[in-house]
Amino acid sequence: MTMNSRCALRRGFAAMGLAATMLSAAAHAETLGPVTDEVGVVKVARGQPILIGALLVLSGPDLSLGVDASRGAEIAFDDHGNKLVGHPIKYLPEDGQCSAEGGQTGATRLASNKQIVGVLGTACSSESRGGAPILWNAGMPQAVTSATAPALTAADRPMGLQGIVRFVYNDINGAAAAVKYAQTVHATKVATMHDGSLYAEELVNAFAKQFKAAGGAIAAAEAISPSDTDLRPVLTRIGTTKPELIFAPIFTGASAYLVRQVKEVPTLASTPVLGTDAVLAPAFLEAAGDAAVGYRLTGVDNDPKLMGVRYGDFLAKYKEKFGEDPIGGFHGNGYDAALAMMTAIEKVAKTEAGGDTYIGRKALRDALMQTEGLDGITGKLTCDKNGDCGSSHFAVFEYASGDPTSFKLGANPKKVFP
Amino acid sequence: MVQDWLRRATPVDWFLLALRVAVVAVVGTGFVAGLLHPRYSRAEWFSFLTFGLTIGAIYALIALGYTMVYGILRMVNFAHGDVFMFGAYAACFSLLACNRAGILGPDPALSFVIATTVCIAVSAGVAVLAERIAYRPFRRGRSLAPLISTLGLSFVLEYSARGMFGAQNKAFPSMPAVDGIVSMAGFSVPRAQVVVVAVALLTMVVLTLIVMRTRIGTAMRAVAEDRDAATLMGINVDGVVVFTFALGGALAGIAGLLYGLVFKQISFFMGFFLGVKGFGAAVLGGIGNIPGAMLGGYALGLVESLGPAAFLEGLGVDSPYQLRDAIAYTMLVMVLIFRPRGLLGERLSAARA
Repeated sequence: MTMNSRCALRRGFAAMGLAATMLSAAAHAETLGPVTDEVGVVKVARGQPILIGALLVLSGPDLSLGVDASRGAEIAFDDHGNKLVGHPIKYLPEDGQCSAEGGQTGATRLASNKQIVGVLGTACSSESRGGAPILWNAGMPQAVTSATAPALTAADRPMGLQGIVRFVYNDINGAAAAVKYAQTVHATKVATMHDGSLYAEELVNAFAKQFKAAGGAIAAAEAISPSDTDLRPVLTRIGTTKPELIFAPIFTGASAYLVRQVKEVPTLASTPVLGTDAVLAPAFLEAAGDAAVGYRLTGVDNDPKLMGVRYGDFLAKYKEKFGEDPIGGFHGNGYDAALAMMTAIEKVAKTEAGGDTYIGRKALRDALMQTEGLDGITGKLTCDKNGDCGSSHFAVFEYASGDPTSFKLGANPKKVFP
Repeated sequence: MVQDWLRRATPVDWFLLALRVAVVAVVGTGFVAGLLHPRYSRAEWFSFLTFGLTIGAIYALIALGYTMVYGILRMVNFAHGDVFMFGAYAACFSLLACNRAGILGPDPALSFVIATTVCIAVSAGVAVLAERIAYRPFRRGRSLAPLISTLGLSFVLEYSARGMFGAQNKAFPSMPAVDGIVSMAGFSVPRAQVVVVAVALLTMVVLTLIVMRTRIGTAMRAVAEDRDAATLMGINVDGVVVFTFALGGALAGIAGLLYGLVFKQISFFMGFFLGVKGFGAAVLGGIGNIPGAMLGGYALGLVESLGPAAFLEGLGVDSPYQLRDAIAYTMLVMVLIFRPRGLLGERLSAARA
C-alpha cells in the first residue's frame, strides 16, 4: 500500500470517528460557565495559564521550517506581554518531523492535553495530513504556519481537516509563481519531480495544470522517495526528454543530492533547476555545500520594503532573542499565526467575575476563520471562506555561496526575480 | 523424471511453479519491451550501468561485514550500518582536516591515504566496541539477546552521532582530484565513480587474500565451519571473533569514505537505509558466503539502477524510479523463491543449519 493510500485510509477512519463525535457533540453541546459550544468548552481557572500548542517539524534536515515559525510565534507572545485575557500564555511545541507519521504522533500528544485551546502549525503538509484529524477530533483548531498543500483548505475537504486555518499562501499561488518564472526564462518544456509528499505532489500537479494552460509542455513527470540518495538514474531518464527547466519542489536532503547529481548527468549539465522555499534554510547549504551556488528557488518575498516597518522591528527582536538572523523563510508566518490565534481567543473568551475564563472550541475555530484585516508581519490578513488567510508576495531567489554561515535572506540567497 | 515430479507434486509445488512462470513472463516481457523502447541511447544505458556498479560496490562492502559476522556467529549485527555511518563521518572530518592543512588539493593521494586510515581505524574500533559491549556478554546464552542488543546499540550509535555531529545533513568535502569527468570507451563517466569501483575491487581482492591465504583467515574459516572443533584445535575463538568484527568494520569504513566521495552528503541516519540494503545484498548472495555478498551487492545495485528503465519502462509504468526500492526488494523475494539459499548458497555447515 502506498503512503498516500495509507494516509487516505487513516484519514477516512479519523473522519468517521470525528463525524461520530461531532454528531454526538451536536446532540449534547457542552455548557460550562457562561459558554455553550457544540464541540466543547475549555475552562481556564483563575491564575492558570492558557495553553497554546504547536505541531511543527523541530528535528531532522527540515527543522528550520518549524523552528523558524516557532521562534516567530514566541516573539508574537512576547509582543503581547505573554498575557491573554488576564491569564499567562503557556506555549507547548511538539515535533511533527515533517511526515504524516510524525504529525500523527505529535498531534496525539497534544490532543491528550485537554487544556490546550488551539495549535500553531503544522509546518509540513504531510504533518497536517496525519495530525489534523486528531487535533480537530479533540476540538483544537490549527493556525497553519507553512503547510501549503491545496488539499488542506480545499472547498470539499473532509471533516478531519476542517479545523485548519492557514496563515501562509496556498500552493495554487506558489505554483503560479513558478509558472511565471518559467515563462520569464522562456522555458516551454519543463520536467517535474516530486518526492511523494503531500506538499510536493500537489504543488507539482498544480504547476503542471497551470503551465499547460499557459501553453507550456511537461516533458517528464518523475517521482522519487525522500530517502533516495542516488538520483542519477532518474535524472538520466529526465535527460532523455531534453527539458529546458526542472521544477523540483522537494525537501532539504533530496534537493542537496539533486543539485550535485544533476551536474553529473551529461544531458542535464546545463539545465537549470528550480526549487521552492522548502530549502530556504542554512541547513540546505550545510548539506549541499558549494553545489548550491546558482540554485534558484521560489519563495515569499521578505523584502522589508514590502513587509512594512514592523518587519524591521521584528528582525531586530529575533536577532536579540535568538542570537542569529532568521534561519528560514516562515518566521513571519509563525508570528502571524500566533497573533491570529491570540486575537481569536480574545474575541471568544468569556471571563467570569471570579477570574475563570471559558473558551468555546468551535467558536474559536470560527473566529480564526473570520480573521479580517489583521495587521500581520507578512501583510494584512483576511481569510476566505475556506480558511486561506495568507498574504504573500513571491520572488525567485538564487544561492550565491555554499557557506551556511553566509545565509541571509536577500543576500544569500539573493533575490533575482522579479 | 517429469512423470516422477507430476506424481509427487503437491498443490504448493504447483503454486510455486505457477509463480515462477508468472515472474519469468512478467520480467521477460518488461525486459524485452524495455530494450526495444527507443527512449534510451547506448550512452544512457552505460550511465545506468556505471551508477549501478558504484552503488553496488558500496552495498557489497557493507554486505561483507554482515556476512562475515553471520558466517562465524550466526548472528546479524544490526549495528553494522551505523559502523558504516561512523566511517563516513570519520572520512569527512579527516578530509576537512586535510583541507585546513592545505594538502587536500595539492596532494590528493596523501589525503586519501589519511582519510582511508582514519575511517578504517574508527569503524574497526566502533565494530570491536560493539562486539565487546553488545555481543560478547550474551554469547553464551541461546536466545535472541545478542540480536536485540545490537539493535539497541544501533540506536545508541545513531543518536550519539546526532548529538556529536548534529541532526542536519552534512556536506562531504569535495576532492578536486576525484571530481570531474573521464572518458571511457567513448562514454563520459564521473571520475569519482571510477575511483569507487577500483577501490572497492582492490579492497575485495585484499579481503579474499586475507581470508584465504593468512593464518587468521584460515582460523576464521575454521571457526565458521565448526566453532567447537576449532576450539579443540587450539584456535583462539574470541580473538577470531574480534578480528572478524574489526575486518567487517574496516570494510564498512571504506564503504563510508567511498559513499561520501560519490554522494557528498552524509547524515546520522544514513546507516539505517544502507544497512538494510547491505543486509539485503548479503541475503541475496547467500548469507555467510563471502563471494556471495560481493555478487549480491553488485546485483542489488545494478537492479536498482537498471531495473526501472529495463522492466518498468517496457511495461508502461509512469515515474518508474519511485518504485526503485520496490523492484530491488521484489527481486530479493523472487531470487529467494527460485534459490532459497541465495545466489551462491549459504556457506553454513549442516550441523548448524
